Amino acid sequence: MTEIPAPPPPLPETPWLRLDPRMLLVHPVREVGRFLPVLIGVVVLGAGGNRLGWPQLLAVVVPVGIGLARYLTTRYRIHADRVELRRGLVSTHILSTSLDRVRTVDITASPIQRVLSLATVRIGTGTGGDDDLDLDGLPTEQARALRAQLLHSIRPPAPATDDPDGEPAVVGGEEVVARFEPAWVRYAPFTSAGFVAMAAVVGVVFQLGDDLGFLDRFEDDPAAVSLRAGSAVAVAVLGVAVLGVVVAFSVIGYLVANGNFALSHTTPDGSWHVRRGLLTTRETSLDDERLRGVAVGEPLGLRLVRGGRLSAIVTGLDRSESGSSALLPPTPRRLVDRVAAAVVGSEEPVHATLVDHGPRARTRRWTRALVPAALMAVALVVLALLTDLGGLAVLAVLPLVVGAVLGWDRARSLGHALVGDWLVARSGSLTRRRELLATDAVIGWNLHSTWFQRRAGLVTLVATTAGGSQRVVVVDVPEEVAVRLTTEAVPGLAEQFRSS
Amino acid sequence: MTELREPSERVSPRARTMWTLGALGNSVFTLGVLALVAYVWSPFTVPWWAFALLVVACAAYTVLMPRWRYAVHRWEATETAVYTQTGWWSIERRIAPMSRIQTVDYEEGAFARLFGLASVTATTASAAGALAIVGLDKQLARELVDQLTRRADAVPGDAT
Repeated sequence: MTEIPAPPPPLPETPWLRLDPRMLLVHPVREVGRFLPVLIGVVVLGAGGNRLGWPQLLAVVVPVGIGLARYLTTRYRIHADRVELRRGLVSTHILSTSLDRVRTVDITASPIQRVLSLATVRIGTGTGGDDDLDLDGLPTEQARALRAQLLHSIRPPAPATDDPDGEPAVVGGEEVVARFEPAWVRYAPFTSAGFVAMAAVVGVVFQLGDDLGFLDRFEDDPAAVSLRAGSAVAVAVLGVAVLGVVVAFSVIGYLVANGNFALSHTTPDGSWHVRRGLLTTRETSLDDERLRGVAVGEPLGLRLVRGGRLSAIVTGLDRSESGSSALLPPTPRRLVDRVAAAVVGSEEPVHATLVDHGPRARTRRWTRALVPAALMAVALVVLALLTDLGGLAVLAVLPLVVGAVLGWDRARSLGHALVGDWLVARSGSLTRRRELLATDAVIGWNLHSTWFQRRAGLVTLVATTAGGSQRVVVVDVPEEVAVRLTTEAVPGLAEQFRSS
Repeated sequence: MTELREPSERVSPRARTMWTLGALGNSVFTLGVLALVAYVWSPFTVPWWAFALLVVACAAYTVLMPRWRYAVHRWEATETAVYTQTGWWSIERRIAPMSRIQTVDYEEGAFARLFGLASVTATTASAAGALAIVGLDKQLARELVDQLTRRADAVPGDAT
């Protein structure tokens, strides 16, 4: 490991370091995977000739060659307060970023890498995408040490604690806050992915039923009826079987993504570490300094089984890389609340009762849910009248019921609160979220109002922030409540624009 | 009453002309394409009354939208904050403290230049928080950029 050189210039030239040579074993395997379509093509085409020609040879040599070239031409170093990554054979490409711009450090290890105890270090700078530095292939221990060094460089060194009559030296430690429990997989089928799969199953069953004629009018012929009854049982059995497969897949997906999950907090450098993955392990580290809040995800499906998920609002996380700021996968709601309280350092914002947005806001949720549903119902009835398919009219009830349930749930979900230094906002139904944002992370306010909202005296208040989804939205709040909220959360900003 | 007042400054009246011409261009283009398609492609027929209705809607849009928008668009920059109000059917008011402003952009689009107008955009570290003032007089826009840059620089902090 290289140490950051001492400040006085001129700096000694830090040698460039190679990645771990064991990556030579990993690269060819990966390249073969990437070239698989070509390889299959080559083998299939070559099969007719029944001899090993140059295409087959190339197909083996090229991936191995690329892997070797990549290893030989990639070097990195930490020099003059910068992380530098140099790569490329023909055109040399140097990626360089200042240490104080490093915001997240990810460690991932694919199954092959895990066998060889190697890991990839990804250094995130918060600009997203292109500027991220991937050190693909360091020994696991070295990767962890590098992460500690990088994260430590983010925050100023702790004051010296070795003076005799002062506090005892802070002992570095890692406190595990949550660890994977097999019982968590019961939430897997209730996530949105699970629901989409189930909806697909229901759709397929209906389609099959339709093809076999269940939706037609029943005739009086007893033979036809009994035949239909038989195939109805078959379709039902098939439906249950497919449902079982879908549940199994969602559970397997959950296990692969979240097996070995552990969330811990390290004390000397003050950062959260999320470790997960059954096959490819992934460790994300979030610096306390960059943590601006948390979002408790409580989608309808998970709420039915008292589950929830938790993600962090962190500045400097790549927006396109969703999931990297996740703190907890679908887990019991009590655990989510406990961890949320630990992250924000207080129980109150997590459990605080939310301020109701009033009857006009609730009415708006209802109308917005019911008007499209009513339109659909009317369209179905009209269709039924025009086409002599009387059965369609019965289906018109469906959108109305769904709309009513959604409207009711969305109306009761609306709410906000200002608890100490935390702005809390909740909205949504199918994807309900309760967001907690530190008020000093609010970097601006947007007040959005359509013509309809203005007639109801409501605005949608948006607190903009540099982290997470860039905004925390307080939906449909009476204007005076919104203005009071802005002035209480960020004193000295909006007061000057208040009407006297 | 605890409500927000409107920002104090209006944009240039020439912005109204710019929006009118823009809306006119859009309307003529839409109607033109529709008429052309209906003429060339015979299975696609537009009843005359639907076309007339569309013409009326476009005319109303061209006449009303720019006036409505001009009445809404306002801005204000104080020592400590920027406050803008934009939109017409749906109105967006944005407030950002001077200390959080990261960049101040000046833009003179090809169309806007015909009217001697420019727009000023103050961005913050949040992708959701950029404050844009469209349709400012060029001279005024330049002065505003200087003023905002100076004030934003005067406040310490990394603006996140």
